[in-house]
Amino acid sequence: MNISTKGQYGLEALLDLTIHGEGTHLNIKSIADRQGLSEKYLEQIFGVLKRSGIVNSVRGAQGGYTLAKAPEDITVREVLNALEGPLSPVSCVVEGQEAHCDRYDVCVTRAFWRKIMVELNRVTEGVTLSDLAACYNRGHMKNNQEYSI
Amino acid sequence: MKISTKGRYGLRGMVDLAIHSIDGHVALNAIAERQDISVNYLEQVFSTLRKAGIVKSVKGSQGGYVLADSPSNLTVGMILRPLEGQLDLVDDTIHGGSDGSVQQCLKIHVWDMMTKTVNRIVDETTLEDLVNEYQKMSETTAPIYFI
Repeated sequence: MNISTKGQYGLEALLDLTIHGEGTHLNIKSIADRQGLSEKYLEQIFGVLKRSGIVNSVRGAQGGYTLAKAPEDITVREVLNALEGPLSPVSCVVEGQEAHCDRYDVCVTRAFWRKIMVELNRVTEGVTLSDLAACYNRGHMKNNQEYSI
Repeated sequence: MKISTKGRYGLRGMVDLAIHSIDGHVALNAIAERQDISVNYLEQVFSTLRKAGIVKSVKGSQGGYVLADSPSNLTVGMILRPLEGQLDLVDDTIHGGSDGSVQQCLKIHVWDMMTKTVNRIVDETTLEDLVNEYQKMSETTAPIYFI
């Protein structure tokens, strides 16, 4: 099972935006340069994120993107659902996709796959962009030998 | 994130085997028919599981397979890993960029956490749990005996 580069790079870009974009907007090039990502790919990703209500765009030559909500209100689950779809190993346990399998009613393993999806939803809901930014700031504080009491 | 048909069919085959092992070994044909899986494919899958020590084969024209241990001792992880390899959620795509901390924070708080979650569930869930789920689902009260 795996998460593609869409979800991986999308989260990296959003974390970058959270850390470096506070109070302003960032263009894709700056994010791409800092994170070593392809601009073109990020453009696709940000298109999806904008449609999903996770980022807003600022138009114009000096334009760019901002988070559409506060970082503490954007969960990892939400981002991954937008970029990767449901966090499910199989499609039949996703609401509305039961018909994907004609054995749905007699399936001996369905409940197990569902358990995985429910748990992944739960743990990814518990991590926000704010939490990730805090991790980042902790790392950088250590590196700069700053200690706060 | 997806599991391949090997893992999915392997798990279904094992649950079927656990449910129907009352009188001893079960023919692969029977499992294939009940689970609507090709016999050839199931043969490959069960061959892998046999080499991994999860099932034992009984040879001969009336042959088949039995569980190598009781269902309460066989975890989903023991069944999936021989078939799917490591249950990793992300390929470790380390890419360039001046900011390693972003990737590090995501690795710790997201990717490793999700991988740990999946591994925990597959290692905590036993074949017996799946059989119980199935029985609840089909509301049967037939007792299951394992040799």
